[in-house]
Amino acid sequence: MTVPASGAGLQNLEGHTDYDIVWPWTRPEGLRPGTTAVLRVKNEAPSLPWVLPPLLRACDEVLLVDNGSTDGTPEVAAETVARSGHADKFRQTVYPFDVARAGAEHLAQHELSVHSLSYFYNWCFAQVSTRYSYKWDGDMVLTTEGEVSIADFGWQVGDVPSILRVPRHGLYLADDRHGYLDLGLRNAEEWGFPIGPDFVFTKAFEWEIRTTPVGVRSIGLPQGLCVELKYLDGDEFAHWTDPASFATSFRNKRKRREWEVFNALKDGVVPAGVHDIVAPEGTHIVDFVTREWLPRAPRPLSVG
Amino acid sequence: MSSPTTDTRGGSAPGDLEPEDYPRKVLFVAGAGRSGTSTLSGLMQLMGLHVPQPEVTPDESNPKGFGEPAWVVEHHDRLLKDAGVQVSDARPDAWFETGRVSTREPERIRTAEWLDGHFAVNHELVVKDPRLSWFLGLWRVAAIRDGAVPVFATMLRPPSEVVGSKQKYYANRLGSAHLAASWLNMLLHTERATRESVADGGRVFVRYGDLLDDWVKVVMQLGEQLELQNVLHAKSEQIRDGHRFVDPGLRRVTQSLADLQLPPKLHDLTGQTWDELNKLADPGGDTADAHATLDQLREAYVDLYAEAEAISRSSVVAAEQRVKRELKGGRAATPAVAEESRDLADRIPHGLRAAIPPGVRRSVRKALGRER
Repeated sequence: MTVPASGAGLQNLEGHTDYDIVWPWTRPEGLRPGTTAVLRVKNEAPSLPWVLPPLLRACDEVLLVDNGSTDGTPEVAAETVARSGHADKFRQTVYPFDVARAGAEHLAQHELSVHSLSYFYNWCFAQVSTRYSYKWDGDMVLTTEGEVSIADFGWQVGDVPSILRVPRHGLYLADDRHGYLDLGLRNAEEWGFPIGPDFVFTKAFEWEIRTTPVGVRSIGLPQGLCVELKYLDGDEFAHWTDPASFATSFRNKRKRREWEVFNALKDGVVPAGVHDIVAPEGTHIVDFVTREWLPRAPRPLSVG
Repeated sequence: MSSPTTDTRGGSAPGDLEPEDYPRKVLFVAGAGRSGTSTLSGLMQLMGLHVPQPEVTPDESNPKGFGEPAWVVEHHDRLLKDAGVQVSDARPDAWFETGRVSTREPERIRTAEWLDGHFAVNHELVVKDPRLSWFLGLWRVAAIRDGAVPVFATMLRPPSEVVGSKQKYYANRLGSAHLAASWLNMLLHTERATRESVADGGRVFVRYGDLLDDWVKVVMQLGEQLELQNVLHAKSEQIRDGHRFVDPGLRRVTQSLADLQLPPKLHDLTGQTWDELNKLADPGGDTADAHATLDQLREAYVDLYAEAEAISRSSVVAAEQRVKRELKGGRAATPAVAEESRDLADRIPHGLRAAIPPGVRRSVRKALGRER
């Protein structure tokens, strides 16, 4: 089935009326111009101090939805936002239900269940009050060029029905000054979407997918504008049912690449396409890569 | 893991720095054409900033020169053509089209490489072109890639005078309503485009009247605010050159907004926008409150334009059908037919032509053998 976006909203199968979905375009006040980045997060406390500041500067609003964090994610988010001076642009809320992990668990879940990725995402984006939205991950950090590009697109898009694709590159962190930037895979996913009945979430094989009308326009930003933080001392695949879930399909090419790079680096091997980067004394590796290394890297960036 | 380090970029260079040690900076002079952008660019050049060469040669409309790099004009003309946008384009959606073109990696590379080459001549550059506002984001990215700090100056001149000047010097056959709408679209979005980003070194708004009245005061304030070392350390002879250059009589066109006889809603919006933009040129006037008001005015303009588009939809459809009929008739690029077709296109009001989807316009131009 496909999620019906024609009515006022959705009711979940479990009867949790507090978490029924009211489509935001049906609200009496309507949608206001601008952009909202929506972060659905679970245990992203280490990344948020780098993720949130550029987003807060580039977007009109940032909405963080915490889903069962146990590492102090909401507190770190609040502290980071307070330091940034953009508290007026930030909201955070909680989605209290366990959500199916990508892969087999997701496939088994009905999309109108509160445990479905699709329902979870629809609920999150139903909290948006602007006309444009970014689906953003809690470990994605914009470079300087990425930040100004997203900021420009936010006011330029107006009411044009257009998707925005943003390439991202894994940045595997060894410690505060040392990391590995993976430019070995060319990959650009769709992150920006208008808010409206043509752009809702429904079910795909391994995860959710956002619907689009025929003829929608699509813009892709250049390579090298966004990194995805990976921690070599962490469990980077906890949100997947098991590695076999992304073992075969072309759709999971990026996830397989991450698995290969992560395990190679753990074994002390730097795969082809991965750059071993050390930040100068006193500069954090994430700041160095996003503010210096990538913005100044020779173009065209050699990726894939 | 520790917290992010604080961004400490920026700060004045000490006064004893040699010009080759000045931080890389590029001043982008934006604003509607005929707003005094050439005067400001020329003054910056006299104070020691570098206008990348060669420049557009002076003509009757601007006898003291444009202060425009010829490459930038050609670059922008090509990009505008690619985006299907006119220099004076009243469509709010036109910003999406020029923004789309600006995301293309080859254009970012081309722009950054061109800019980078000129830092070898001088670490402080000035780039000006009436088309610049459409591509401010592209230039900001170029500056970032070149390790330079972008700063912005937007010239403000009463819309009644800009429209009058355009009609006088550009022999523009378009109505004042269209020109006023284009002015609104450009200024409201230029203000939005130059709001501070993490890469920027600041922005100023300069009233053309103030520049002609006391350029010394205006330029010094601008130099201090944007930390332009060449201005801060300008020598006496450069200041004398400035006095020789600025002609208070440049403000040759004066008329009131009422003289334009605009439709009431457009008249009100133009007047309110001019009042609000003026506040930005006052010391301490570039505030969050002013931005919020300008956001409302921009939204009001978007709504007004959408309303006008909806009302005139039948005219657009009729124009499209007329052009399609011409195409089906097999008329193509013999000179006589091309000339006739040009007449046909010219009979379609500009506003309606602009509303025809770019793809359709491109097909029509191709079929008619018109390069624009």
